[in-house]
Amino acid sequence: MMEIGLNHYLVLSTILFTIGLIGVMRRKNLLLLFFATEILLNSVNIAFAAISHFYGDLTGQMFAFFVIAIAASEVAVGLGLLIVWHKRHSNIDLDALSTMKG
Amino acid sequence: MIDHILSILIFFPAVAAVFGFIIQKDSIRTYGVAVATIEFALSLWLWFAFDTNASGMQFMEHAALVPAFGINYILGVDGISLFIIILAAFFTMIGIASLTDTKNVKNMIVTLLFLQMTMVGVFAALDAIVFYVFWELSLVPMLYIIGAWGGPLRIYASIKFFLYTFTGSLVMLVGILFMAYFYFQATGVWSFAILDWYRLILPETFQLWLFVAFFIGFAIKVPMFPFHTWLPYAHGQAPTIGSVMLAAILLKMGTYAFIRFSLPLFPDASVFFMFPIAILAIIMVIYTAMVAYAQKDIKQVIAYSSISHMGIIIIGTFALNVEGISGSVFLMLGHGVVAGGLFLLVGVIYDRRHTKMMDQFGGLAHIMPRYATIFGIMMMASVGLPLTINFVGEFLSLLGFYQQSHILTLLAGIGIIVGAIYMLAAYKKMFFGEVTIEENRNLPDVNKRELIALIPLVIIAIWLGVYPKPVLEPISNSVESIVQLMHDKAQTEEAKSRIPNLAGKIVITKASQEEAH
Amino acid sequence: MEKYLYIALFAPLVGSMFAALFGARPKTVIAGLVPSTLLLISLIASSVLLVHIIGGGEVIHVEMMTWMATGDLYIPFGFVVDQISVTMMMVVTIVSTVVHFYAIGYMDHDKGFNRFFAWLSAFVFSMLILVMSDNYAGLFIGWEGVGLCSWGLIGFWYHKESATWAANEAFIMNRIADLGMLIGIFLIYWNTGTLQYEEAFAAMPGLDNATLTWMGIFLFIGAMGKSAQFPLHTWLADAMEGPTPVSALIHAATMVTAGVYLVIRSNELYSLIPNVGLFIASLGAFVAIFAASMALVNRDIKRVIAYSTLSQLGYMFAAAGLGAYWVALFHLMAHAFFKALLFLGAGNVMHAMDSELDPFKMGGLGKVMKASMIMMTLASIALAGLFPLAGFFSKDVILEAAFAEHHFIIYTVLLLTAGLTAFYSFRIIALIFHGEERYKLFGFHPHEAYKFMLVAMSPLLILAIIAGSFRTTFFSVVEEILSATEYHIHSHVTYWVMTIGTQLFVILAIAYAYKKYMSRDIKVPDGTSKMENSFKYKLLINQYYIPYFYEEYLVKSYRELSTVLWKQVDMKIVDASVDGIAGIIYGTGEKTRNMQSGNLSTMLKWMVAGTVAMLSLAVVFGLAVRYSDEIKTILSGLGV
Repeated sequence: MMEIGLNHYLVLSTILFTIGLIGVMRRKNLLLLFFATEILLNSVNIAFAAISHFYGDLTGQMFAFFVIAIAASEVAVGLGLLIVWHKRHSNIDLDALSTMKG
Repeated sequence: MIDHILSILIFFPAVAAVFGFIIQKDSIRTYGVAVATIEFALSLWLWFAFDTNASGMQFMEHAALVPAFGINYILGVDGISLFIIILAAFFTMIGIASLTDTKNVKNMIVTLLFLQMTMVGVFAALDAIVFYVFWELSLVPMLYIIGAWGGPLRIYASIKFFLYTFTGSLVMLVGILFMAYFYFQATGVWSFAILDWYRLILPETFQLWLFVAFFIGFAIKVPMFPFHTWLPYAHGQAPTIGSVMLAAILLKMGTYAFIRFSLPLFPDASVFFMFPIAILAIIMVIYTAMVAYAQKDIKQVIAYSSISHMGIIIIGTFALNVEGISGSVFLMLGHGVVAGGLFLLVGVIYDRRHTKMMDQFGGLAHIMPRYATIFGIMMMASVGLPLTINFVGEFLSLLGFYQQSHILTLLAGIGIIVGAIYMLAAYKKMFFGEVTIEENRNLPDVNKRELIALIPLVIIAIWLGVYPKPVLEPISNSVESIVQLMHDKAQTEEAKSRIPNLAGKIVITKASQEEAH
Repeated sequence: MEKYLYIALFAPLVGSMFAALFGARPKTVIAGLVPSTLLLISLIASSVLLVHIIGGGEVIHVEMMTWMATGDLYIPFGFVVDQISVTMMMVVTIVSTVVHFYAIGYMDHDKGFNRFFAWLSAFVFSMLILVMSDNYAGLFIGWEGVGLCSWGLIGFWYHKESATWAANEAFIMNRIADLGMLIGIFLIYWNTGTLQYEEAFAAMPGLDNATLTWMGIFLFIGAMGKSAQFPLHTWLADAMEGPTPVSALIHAATMVTAGVYLVIRSNELYSLIPNVGLFIASLGAFVAIFAASMALVNRDIKRVIAYSTLSQLGYMFAAAGLGAYWVALFHLMAHAFFKALLFLGAGNVMHAMDSELDPFKMGGLGKVMKASMIMMTLASIALAGLFPLAGFFSKDVILEAAFAEHHFIIYTVLLLTAGLTAFYSFRIIALIFHGEERYKLFGFHPHEAYKFMLVAMSPLLILAIIAGSFRTTFFSVVEEILSATEYHIHSHVTYWVMTIGTQLFVILAIAYAYKKYMSRDIKVPDGTSKMENSFKYKLLINQYYIPYFYEEYLVKSYRELSTVLWKQVDMKIVDASVDGIAGIIYGTGEKTRNMQSGNLSTMLKWMVAGTVAMLSLAVVFGLAVRYSDEIKTILSGLGV
């Protein structure tokens, strides 16, 4: 049985990050975009935690908590905005959201 | 008070301008004239208190701004900047006094006072950052003057003016930062003080690069061929007062900066680039004079003639000897007075007829004899007739450059021929012949307000042509110290031989005298 | 004595300013009288100085104040009254005083009366500065000053297109020459370190020949412009557009001789470079005959006199170039008197004929204008060089000098010119004053000029007659500073043969002119006669097509080139490239604004693309740094 090392975590983190990135690029639904963002953040969290463990330094894990807190508040605010948007326009399609056109 | 006279000169108009906003519209003109007159009186006091025999900086002021990076508020004047400051104060005064009925007079006067602050600031600053700040700030009032009171193409002209000069000065800023960095590397301390930089001897390769960076900024401002095309637009669209300030003072920033920065900081590079720049300047002199001849709009004629004269100033500057540089500084003043005067004169006729096209005139000498006389005097001064202010400058500039190159001086001298051609042709078109257009028949001659502005200019143009000594002497003293500095700093053989050694000369003449005895 | 110097110099300036005060007002007699009187005072002061100098007095040298001083350059307003300048001062003040008083009558009905006197006196002031200055820069002040006044006076009737055109032409042509002069001044300064005559001349023998030659050439280019030498001669004939007193004063007696004065003043330079001197003499001789030939056929009395002036200037340069400076100066003086007289006489004729200038339309005027006729005839005799009038003494010496120096070609040319001079001078005399009264056909009512105008002219008449007798005095005075050689033909026989031969030749030419042009069947030419259609006539009447050439090929091409430079180069190349650069930046913005579609999804895609690009750049640079040594070896292996 192979031992789970730092590289495995980092590979997992990279895979998750790629999935998140593709999600960010491909999804047209705002809600799914949030999901994708969460995946991105969590991939980073995994990397933080793993590296923190590897070096025996707790700063990385603290940072991961910090990221979680930020993600939570972001989701809270983001979901609030999303609901307001949905109430007004009754859809949350990204293509409809283009009032910031340059 | 005399210790802080330069700060007062810079900030008094600015403060007065802020108060200008709360002045009644009816009395704003009086207010503006009063402020500008006080400012002018202060600048005269500066001259009075100035020690004309000293060559270094006087009335130095020093205050720390960002000491960690050696950015300080340092001011000072020498013979070179003193008279340009006086000229700036003088032109603001007569500019406001002769202001004709423009809309939003209040804004105009406030803008002019702000402009004055930036102009005096540029010429008094001895710290590169302070210099740069004023240099850039001066664009803003000018942009506003052209953009708000200009002709039909004013937006295009003002944006072109702003972006063009701004681009140049950004390159200059990079040069300034590099210069400070080199200073830091050499001495371990940061400094943006120009006088500190003077002591730094850079390797020739660095000099070349920095020279080019500074050159781009200055050349666009001057404006040198081929960077000159913003100027005809700016002049063509600007209101009279805008053109006057632009031609009389703002253009001088470029040529002044050459003498303040390029020559003493980079003597070897100056010698290296002397001939290319002289050739550019000669092209500028002849080419723009020819273009001026083709113009149909009298204001454009004078605009292009400005460029042509700036070419002679550049030639004088890059003569790199006392005669040439003194001549070029003197010509800056001369051209300021003459071009400023000519633009005012164009304004006179524009106010009456609302056109600047020469074919709309003809025979004006019959109708407006006084106007024709003053225009004639100014034209002759512009052509560089002896005993007018421009001759002294042109003569000395060309005389100086003759030491460096015979053939190039001969070519630059063609400027005096082509200069006569376009000016006389324009004068003939406007003033001679019969009156052909009915509208012109009843034009009133120059009135009192216009005479207030024009008569002093005529007097100065002749006075300084006949007796330039009070101005030329301080200039010459300061220029001598710059030339000596350049000679001492020069490293290459060629630079050593091209830049005269004044200290050595005195020794030699003394020795030869002893021999003679 | 200094006091007199200042009076002589500044009285005309005061007069000019006084008249200028009345400049824009209608005619005020006092604006003419005061400058004239002040000139008289100047004349008296000059005479005092002349007596002082003749009496062997010291040369007067004053330094009024500093003009320009910077670096090693020091130029004062310094004035010197020596033998040369006092001669010039006398010429200038005498002729200008006469002309001033004459002009009070001549300009009687002109509405620019006051302005005229302001310009005229200003001219005299500039001319005095020119001749009295003790340095080249001061000379240049006067040099340009007379140019300016000449511009103002040629274009005095500024409503006339031809007058203003001629004024500008004169100014610009002179400017071309002035550039040469300026370069000459620069050369002198950088080689001798000063512009003062004395010091500069003292330093000159130590300089190498090439430098001196260049100095001589450039200064002479300046002289060529003022004195209208070929190829800068066309302005002089056109300058006749100005009022006649102006032509008499400026374009005959004084300003145009400034070039000769310059060469005489710089005699110490020119005697060091005889080659340039020979060139000057040859050019002078050429201009003498060249101008005389154009005078033969011209149908404008003022232009004929102008060409004769040109021709006489050629004589002066021939003399000066051969080293006979005092002869040149003497001829300059004598010429000033009789030529001014001739012009003023022509002015009387013009006045009588309502400004008609074609002598073919006159004829028989001698009956109504006896005094004018006598004066003009005597002036013409003086011009032709008949004994015992002024021209004989001055012109004959030039011929003698050319002969004695063994320049026989120049001698022959000048001799031939003497004949031509006599012929064309008497051609117009005969056409104007003798023969049938053709003017009646054109309905003119000629009348003699005012009495006081004639009286005003009389000093010139007297001088034109007696100036020759000054020769010995003159010689003894100027020999102190000019390399004075009495030119003696060694054998007496040759001398007498030459002199009498020349006289006979001239008399024959005069007689031929009278015979040809006094006859009763002279008609106003209408362009049909055989002579008028001959090539020679066309060539001469069109001034060898030189003005045509200048206009067609120089002026026009300059104008067209200017337009091309403006419309094509400045607007379409220089400015367009600036706008082009701005356009590219604008265009990039225009193109890339679509990226900013506002669609979150697209923007995110761009963001990712940017991140990837930057990351890959970072990786590439990182690798490059790590393997820099290997890369260098590979590159050097490739020979980069």
